[in-house]
Amino acid sequence: MAAATALDSLPAPLRSLRLKTKQQELLLRVSALALIYVLAFVVRLFSVLRYESMIHEFDPYFNYRTTLFLSDHGFSEFWNWFDFESWYPLGRVVGGTLFPGLMVTAALLHRLLRALSLAVHIREVCVLTAPFFAANTTLVAYAFGREIWDSGAGLVAAALIAVCPGYISRSVAGSYDNEGVAIFALLLTFYLFVRAVNTGSLAWSLASAFGYFYMVSAWGGYVFIINLLPLYVLVLLVTGRYSQRLYVAYNSTYVLGMLLAMQIRFVGFQHVQSGEHMAAMGVFFLLQVFFFLDWVKYLLNDAKLFKSFLRITLTCVITVGTLALGIGTASGYISPWTGRFYSLLDPTYAKDHIPIIASVSEHQPTAWSSFMFDFHILLFLFPAGLYFCFKRLSDATIFIVMYGLTSMYFAGVMVRLILVAAPAVCLISAIAASATIKNLTTLIRTKSKSPQTVSGKSSGSKAAAKGAVDQSLPFQQNVAIALLLGAFYLLSRYAVHCTWVTSEAYSSPSIVLAARGHNGGRVIFDDYREAYYWLRQNTPSDAKIMSWWDYGYQITAMGNRTVIVDNNTWNNTHIATVGRAMSSYEDEAYEIMQSLDVNYVLVVFGGVTGYSSDDINKFLWMVRIGGGVFPVIKEPDYLVNGEYRVDKGAAPKMLNCLMYKLCYYRFGELTTEYGKPPGYDRVRGVEIGNKDIKLEYLEEAFTTSNWIVRIYKVKPPKNRS
Amino acid sequence: DDLVAELQSLRSRSPSGVIHLTDTSITRFLSAPAPRPYSVLVFFDAASLHSKTDLHLPQLRREFALLSASFLAHNPASADLFFADIEFSESQHSFAQFGVNSLPHVRLVRPEHTRLAGSEQMDQSHFSRLADSMAEFVESRTGLEVGPIVRPPLVSRNQMILLVILFLVSIPFLIKRIMDGETLFHDRRVWMAGALFIYFFSVSGGMYGIIRHTPMFITDRSDPNKLVFFYQGSGMQLGAEGFAVGFLYTLVGLMIAMVTHLLVRVESLQIQRFTMLAVMIIGWWAVKKVILLDNWKTGYSIHTFWPSSWR
Repeated sequence: MAAATALDSLPAPLRSLRLKTKQQELLLRVSALALIYVLAFVVRLFSVLRYESMIHEFDPYFNYRTTLFLSDHGFSEFWNWFDFESWYPLGRVVGGTLFPGLMVTAALLHRLLRALSLAVHIREVCVLTAPFFAANTTLVAYAFGREIWDSGAGLVAAALIAVCPGYISRSVAGSYDNEGVAIFALLLTFYLFVRAVNTGSLAWSLASAFGYFYMVSAWGGYVFIINLLPLYVLVLLVTGRYSQRLYVAYNSTYVLGMLLAMQIRFVGFQHVQSGEHMAAMGVFFLLQVFFFLDWVKYLLNDAKLFKSFLRITLTCVITVGTLALGIGTASGYISPWTGRFYSLLDPTYAKDHIPIIASVSEHQPTAWSSFMFDFHILLFLFPAGLYFCFKRLSDATIFIVMYGLTSMYFAGVMVRLILVAAPAVCLISAIAASATIKNLTTLIRTKSKSPQTVSGKSSGSKAAAKGAVDQSLPFQQNVAIALLLGAFYLLSRYAVHCTWVTSEAYSSPSIVLAARGHNGGRVIFDDYREAYYWLRQNTPSDAKIMSWWDYGYQITAMGNRTVIVDNNTWNNTHIATVGRAMSSYEDEAYEIMQSLDVNYVLVVFGGVTGYSSDDINKFLWMVRIGGGVFPVIKEPDYLVNGEYRVDKGAAPKMLNCLMYKLCYYRFGELTTEYGKPPGYDRVRGVEIGNKDIKLEYLEEAFTTSNWIVRIYKVKPPKNRS
Repeated sequence: DDLVAELQSLRSRSPSGVIHLTDTSITRFLSAPAPRPYSVLVFFDAASLHSKTDLHLPQLRREFALLSASFLAHNPASADLFFADIEFSESQHSFAQFGVNSLPHVRLVRPEHTRLAGSEQMDQSHFSRLADSMAEFVESRTGLEVGPIVRPPLVSRNQMILLVILFLVSIPFLIKRIMDGETLFHDRRVWMAGALFIYFFSVSGGMYGIIRHTPMFITDRSDPNKLVFFYQGSGMQLGAEGFAVGFLYTLVGLMIAMVTHLLVRVESLQIQRFTMLAVMIIGWWAVKKVILLDNWKTGYSIHTFWPSSWR
């Protein structure tokens, strides 16, 4: 380090003083990092404070259930688990159709805590896994920031990512989903890889490969890594930055990472066969060619000979490569790209070709207000950070710029990918914030201290030294102070924004609903759990429950009953069968339900409380998906002039289909709002059209206290007379 | 049956299979006694309105032709359904008979329709996804299968081959240049401009505009002379507002960069002071503007949480 040499040249008393400030700096840095670590964890506990310690939403319930299974039965049982409680009568091979990283992590944490004689329930471990890993991410962000810029930038990056709403949205306590650990793994892999490229060390490359393995085991988003790394290598090659360090880092990471990734059953041979992974392999071979050419050039030592050699090899390599790819694709050995991947490259693709992807709300394109909501002032700092990176180009800054730009582009295509962009945006913004503030503070100090001390002090970091010298001239001290105040004001606004967003927008578990009552107090609707526990206590243990797929995971996890379809939407026909049953008349639906051995039907209804994401609002999707497989179901039958209605003017088929009947059974007797007629639906804002509903093949079994969940029992077949 | 044969021969003369009808031919083909052996899907066109961009008439007409061509490709020599268009200036009488007084307008005349005005109108929602949704309308009303919509590729096959050949030929030259290190790729300013552009494009929701086909601005409903550039409500955005905000982000970011890297090179102290002042004012204004716009658009009121004992 330059600092060390500068220190040695100083006289003895001054040196001890120096050391002291260095220790102070270390102390400050460590304690700041520790505080950031705690902050990242604590800010994610809003959901626990506002509601209670519970698992959120839909998918996390599946993860929770599998974790429970894993900790009860051990790993090999889990790996071979055939789950007969979902997708009745098909069942599901759980071990081969999930990313096990999250469950294994939580189970290990649980075991560790037990070993330390801390008796905690596995649910608490699951609830707190995401905040714990978010806290760890701040450490990685610090290390990464230090690697690409300096420790100041690392510290700022850690602070920014600790509260960045784009990341918090997926990692609050209770949001027990793959992304919780995956972002940590993603950033760790990138950090280790950049470190490997910077040092050319085999150890760091291997560490990076293991980071990649953890990422593959945790989330399908690993495809981003396996495409970004080769792209980065390619850019380095094109810009003439090829080096031995790069060669070592990429090859060892790729080869070992690939072998490790293939150990995950869900990925398996896809890693060498699917088109999404081909870029990595192509770059791998390209690097060998580069290395080979370098070697031949060195051996030949003759420009002309080398040129002709180059021409021949290049032609051969390109022909062979194209042929191999062509034959592989044509023979079906290399599978073509999946729809999701296509829709990232050509954003209009999904809209035209895959409605099921386009329909999911988190796959929508991102409007500017969502960016603002999730990044706030980071968006102002990002271009400045880009500029700073370009001013000090190195292998590491090129990487962070590429990571930032690709993920930013993808975040524009799909809202949920803001999550992937969050670490990059935080890092690049941190560079801008840290470098600017550093410049300003050195300026303020220049006036009070002698110029010699300053140049000695700031030579610790290369950039600031150069900056301080030629930037000390223009700024008046008070201008610098004003700018500093402005910067701190902005950063404090960022903190305020993040806290508010976390507590108000991202902490809702969506299984317990909260609303404002008439007097301004909070009203809690706990109907979901009421219904699931009712199922658990009051139905035979082999009962089969039919519901729309959204609630499948929750019913199996909380109600412990078998379901027909769930959130793992792997079998479209089966989902369409349920959609068809829901949109048929009662007698037709009864036949379908008989064939599926259904004992209970569960529907979600918000007409009493005004809960708008209920089954009546999702009903058109059931019709569409049902009609996609069974053409007897036609969407126009449920619409009146292309309009979806439930009141008197509704289509006759709509008024008599199973879903309508089950949702509105006896609803006509209920007055929901003062001054409105009975049977007034508070979500649709209309009086319902069919108040006199009679059920023939089903009977009401249970309706929760706010009518949000209604459960019906399917009657056994009539006696033969 | 003469009529069917005649329609088929008319159809074969048009490249896309859309028959051009006039007042006289409409009376011949469509006022024949019901039930006729064929249905006709009629597109109402008006050359004088092609310049009105918000009607999208030329685009819809192209999509209609595409629909017709796809139908023909899937059911060659079909005599059940014909596609036709009529033009307002030459067939005003028919427009009146159909009772059409607004465009775009597509009607399906089924075999049993006796009066032209009694035929079925395709409603606006079926224009939304262009040919695909029109096909759904046809399939649901006639029971005939249109088949997949065959869109002509953006680049034709020969052009594609030419491009690939050009690319392959240029590879050696490119590699040579790259080896020598004298391409655009080695100029970091190009890379930086590209990077800033990607950033600007992403955060301004440009992708949103492309995927959703949102217009740059819309006209006010209550006052057609007024243009609306900013849409209130967080789920949706217009093109112009996104680019405006994206511009503000980039502006502030670049000003920060400029102050620390460029301004220091300027020699005159006066200019430096003046620029600093300007940067501070513009920066303050831009940040304030973006925050205000965001709060207005989303309707959130973001506030600090203070300990309750402080109140």
